[in-house]
Amino acid sequence: MSAASAPRPAFDRQGERSDEARVDGAMRSFVREFGVTAALHMESCVRCGMCAEACHFYVATGEAKYTPVYKLEPFRRAYLREAGPFAPLVRGLGLVKKLRIDELQQWQELIYDSCTMCGRCTMVCPMGIDIAELVKEARHGMFKAGLIPDRLALMDRTAQQWGSPATPAEDLPDILADVAKQYGVRIPCDLPQADILVTAAPAELVEHTKALADAAKILNRIGAKWTMHHGGFDASNIGFNNGDMQLQERLTRAIVDTALQIGAKIVLLPECGHAYGAARWEAAKWYGRALPVRIVHMTEFLAELIASQRICVKKIGETATFHDPCQIVRRGGLEAAPRQVLAALGLELIEMKDHGVGAYCCGGGGGVVSNARAVPLRHKVFEIKRQQIEATGAKRFVTSCGQCHITFDMGAKYAHWDKKTESLLEIVADNLAE
Amino acid sequence: MELLDFARGPALAFGLVVFVVGSLWRLAGVLLLPRMRDLSPARDGAPPAPLAALRTVLRRMWPRKEFAQATLFPTINSYVFHLGLALVVFGLAPHILFIRSLTGLTWPGLPSNLVYGVGVITLASLFAALARRLGHPVLRLLSHSGDYVSWLLTTLPVVTGLLATSHLGARYETLLAIHILSISALLVWFPFGKLMHAVLFVFSRGATGMRFSHRGVNV
Amino acid sequence: MTETMQLGDMLRRRGISRRALLKYASYMASLMALPPSVAGAMAEGLAKARRQAVIWLSFQECTGCTESLTRSFSPSLEELIFDFISLDYHHTLQAASGEAAEAARRQSMRENQSKYLVVVDGSVPTADGGVYSMIAGRTNMDVLAETVEHAAAVIAVGTCASFGGLPEADPNPTGAVPITKLVTGKPVINIPGCPPLPQAMAGTLTHFLSFGTLPELDALHRPRAFFGETIHDRCYRRSFYERGLFAKSFDDDGARQGWCLYELGCKGPVTYNACASLKWNGAVSFPIQSGHGCIGCSEPRFWDRGGLYKPLSAGTADVRKLIGIAAVAGVALGAGAAALARQRRASTSATEQ
Repeated sequence: MSAASAPRPAFDRQGERSDEARVDGAMRSFVREFGVTAALHMESCVRCGMCAEACHFYVATGEAKYTPVYKLEPFRRAYLREAGPFAPLVRGLGLVKKLRIDELQQWQELIYDSCTMCGRCTMVCPMGIDIAELVKEARHGMFKAGLIPDRLALMDRTAQQWGSPATPAEDLPDILADVAKQYGVRIPCDLPQADILVTAAPAELVEHTKALADAAKILNRIGAKWTMHHGGFDASNIGFNNGDMQLQERLTRAIVDTALQIGAKIVLLPECGHAYGAARWEAAKWYGRALPVRIVHMTEFLAELIASQRICVKKIGETATFHDPCQIVRRGGLEAAPRQVLAALGLELIEMKDHGVGAYCCGGGGGVVSNARAVPLRHKVFEIKRQQIEATGAKRFVTSCGQCHITFDMGAKYAHWDKKTESLLEIVADNLAE
Repeated sequence: MELLDFARGPALAFGLVVFVVGSLWRLAGVLLLPRMRDLSPARDGAPPAPLAALRTVLRRMWPRKEFAQATLFPTINSYVFHLGLALVVFGLAPHILFIRSLTGLTWPGLPSNLVYGVGVITLASLFAALARRLGHPVLRLLSHSGDYVSWLLTTLPVVTGLLATSHLGARYETLLAIHILSISALLVWFPFGKLMHAVLFVFSRGATGMRFSHRGVNV
Repeated sequence: MTETMQLGDMLRRRGISRRALLKYASYMASLMALPPSVAGAMAEGLAKARRQAVIWLSFQECTGCTESLTRSFSPSLEELIFDFISLDYHHTLQAASGEAAEAARRQSMRENQSKYLVVVDGSVPTADGGVYSMIAGRTNMDVLAETVEHAAAVIAVGTCASFGGLPEADPNPTGAVPITKLVTGKPVINIPGCPPLPQAMAGTLTHFLSFGTLPELDALHRPRAFFGETIHDRCYRRSFYERGLFAKSFDDDGARQGWCLYELGCKGPVTYNACASLKWNGAVSFPIQSGHGCIGCSEPRFWDRGGLYKPLSAGTADVRKLIGIAAVAGVALGAGAAALARQRRASTSATEQ
């Protein structure tokens, strides 16, 4: 770093609005979040500090500022001033100070660089506070204030234009045609009618395109009537990550409306964590009722196919360990599914010290792996997983989320670690029995 | 004697009234906020919401094994405090009489000397908690003045109760008056700080229990 | 009638030996927690004293204090006090009545100016000009003021005179006040109790007779010798209190086993008196020993403390209705707050760009 260059500010800023307008935007958004559950949680913190012990950012660095509930501090103050039971008194007597722009700016790092919304803190809190969910809600306000990391803002704008941060919708048919040719599989695109609408994760549309072929192989094996569609093809939902609710809604509707349009009964999600959160649990709120289509994650789809014997897999007699993606297992409820698949594959599962619902986060979720500013922190955090994986002594290392996969790849490269990360979908596709 | 009459009379009445008004105000003010329903289909085999809520209320009584080691101090010390305080409050005959005068309920008490011993242990756990709050960087960062007020107003009844019962420091009627005044102070503060967790924990844990069991996760 | 003979000579004439006087002095000294060496000085003082003029004023009282003093079961000792004093005025005990009695009072005041003791029992009514208790056509307030003007000291005997007692209890229709409220500029001792222990009355008088001074007093002007400790401090049932063994109702198992009476409203812990050590009726018994909690009769306002059977740890105000209103108010305020929050929320959505 040259002496002449000015020090980089610790926060990024989008747009040209005044500071006052930004704070106002954040406050308005915060206020809209406070329903019963959020309010109960905001009221219930007893400052016991146990959440810090669960958070990989605190555990890896020992820095108190990464305490999960501390990430909510501006949000908490907004709650007490605006929606709490004593709010008029709080405002009138000045018991809680108004939010300042510099505080929101300072908090950007805590909310975006040092939180993956993994929800491990939620698991330890003796008051049962869902801190991860509240961070997600706080991000809505940060987005409205134009105070999110620049990389994420860039991806947000890209997705707004293209329907995906990876590739424009109109390029989809070409990409699929290339993949189909490269791997020798049939990949239907833009069929007017199908039972299953298949979606992808951004990395699968760019460098990890084998995943598309793997999915195609399995779907074709079972004779499913399926298609991908340019109307809704990227399930990762960067709006869900960034806190851009408008984009989140748009991307969700793109998939669900497309599915309805083609008469599909099932939307098949790729190996992606936040895709599951956005589509399986949050999609219904945009429609005001339960969706008329079933949202299925690739992992549970594979487990169901194996259980119903619509596919059979060869037995690989090796040891393996599994990384549980946070949004799929801890916050998604699919702890058993990947283990059923691994068992069917004859892989001897050696669990990490912290596994299943209590597993440590890879450290890259929630947009952290896309956040250039967070790289040094992410590398520190990665050591936790690396040591746990090594300690199992397992030969193979598997996961079922594309972002986790990328995080592990990047982390391994930085740490000069030779462990290969494998995708559950890929192992199944490569070991289909006749 | 005037102080004791004031403590047992108007002061206690004031404390009880503020306690009731404040607690119900805070509770109703939160519970009557809009309900953001989860409209997605529940995981197959998910239990009914009230059962899920209750299960989480009970499960969170002890940390998951992944966290047990790292959270040993707050877990153990908190239990020593809470159980100790419960034994003192609900086990000492004069306290049972106090509750009887308000509710009509009564039950057999514990030997007073035993309660005294438990009271001493409870006081020790309170000081341990304060030392931790002042010494640990995470807790120092999180804590604000309300937390220290909560500590003080919880500790004063324990200290003054021990002093009164051992007749240490002043005439007994003065010690008893101070003890009862400290209870009034605690009652007045209770609805406004973190002490309200005594009521909120059921709802807070329950809400998360319902959210996660809907998804098929046992929290 | 004022005596010029010294007490020692007078007693010898009546057959009470010097040894008996010394024995009396030792008894009184030990009662008042004075060192044994003082007994000799006390006897000397008594022997040389002239019979002390005492004017006993009775106001709004029940005569229980006099009964307590005169019904003592050890006549040789308590009654001795009547040999040491010249009780020149006492409604119940004096022979004269009517104008003759009042004349005797005035004569004693004249002949013993600055030397006579005034003993008062009963509270003084002050409402409506004090008409609720009058003697010989004059209010108690008047008589008190006139009598204490040239007195050496005033001894307020019984809780009524000391603190107001029963007449002063809510709603206090007569405007009853204790003696200390009306007498300033003269030393006043309070010997409360309903009634007071005979030893407390006799002992205090003896101290004054022997040494010419008042004994050590506490903040409420009570002699520390008799009011320095609580009943609780000397109660023989204390070990049951410590162990948490309480009678739950009169004559239940616990009561029959002599357990602590805290739950039945005993005010022993906050009542300063010597009943637990001296006991009553010649040391036969005292209320707790007979199975009834101490009612705190030597403390101010003991009638208005929430009831004789309300335990010390219970509040005295009746809060049930208050709490009911508080509950409704709390929920209403909470609902209002939630409505405000909802409104604030709606207004942000409405003005959302």
